Amino acid sequence: MLLECHSTMKPKLYLSFLAFFSIALFTACEATLAPAYDQAIVERVTESSNLAMRFFAELDGGTESESFFMRQPTYNKLIGAFESLKLQARARPLPNSAALEKINALLQSKGSSAITGEYPSAFAFEQIAATFSKMKQTDSENGIKPLALQAFKGQVEIFLDQAITYESFLKR
Amino acid sequence: MSENVAKIITDIKDIASDVLEKDISTIRGFSERQVEAIAKQTAIIQKGIANGDIDEDLREFFLDGLEAMTLNFVNTLKGILMVTLEKLWNALVTFLYKAVGVVI
Repeated sequence: MLLECHSTMKPKLYLSFLAFFSIALFTACEATLAPAYDQAIVERVTESSNLAMRFFAELDGGTESESFFMRQPTYNKLIGAFESLKLQARARPLPNSAALEKINALLQSKGSSAITGEYPSAFAFEQIAATFSKMKQTDSENGIKPLALQAFKGQVEIFLDQAITYESFLKR
Repeated sequence: MSENVAKIITDIKDIASDVLEKDISTIRGFSERQVEAIAKQTAIIQKGIANGDIDEDLREFFLDGLEAMTLNFVNTLKGILMVTLEKLWNALVTFLYKAVGVVI
């Protein structure tokens, strides 16, 4: 069947098909290339992002360092929540399948970078925790000016979008 | 025999299209949101530096943040594409095995 195929298909397409078919035969099973979906992580992100957005709404317009003591518990809660999410996201085992190795070998032979088992959501959670830590420090020392507050909020929102999109997408 | 090959190729294309079409719209939406948000973030930082709301220390922090969010935007796209690749791979392997009469 494949030999006959050679005469009717373009050589490049034929080689790609043959490479895929060979990998499929050698790996001999379904592949797992990404971590497992974790409903608990998605629920905790939703809960923590609600808390974060409510906090930003309360701070609208900026803060004064004199009233920092009132906000300190919320900062601590947010930093703890996102640090904990980072650990939870990273605790999942990395997929390590024969199929992934074969795909990486094929990608590298074509000059492309290999697919690695990274956790973009864990990185995003870490960055959110670091953002709230910096915000806490700034608030305690000098208060936060309006545009600095907007920048803190923007940074948290962007990382949250990355984490939520990735974690939700893991639900196949 | 060549009709069989043509049928297999058509089936593979259909399976690939089915998997990819569903995921591409999510990827496109995410990319558009991120690019717009990163552009707005850059404008806020510029404005904050200009009016003094963002001092030297915060400027460095937010510039590092821009770099990190851009890097992680790309890594998130790679992560999402890996899930798509997995779905595509498994759908095609299942089909190919069925085509040669192997039960997975």
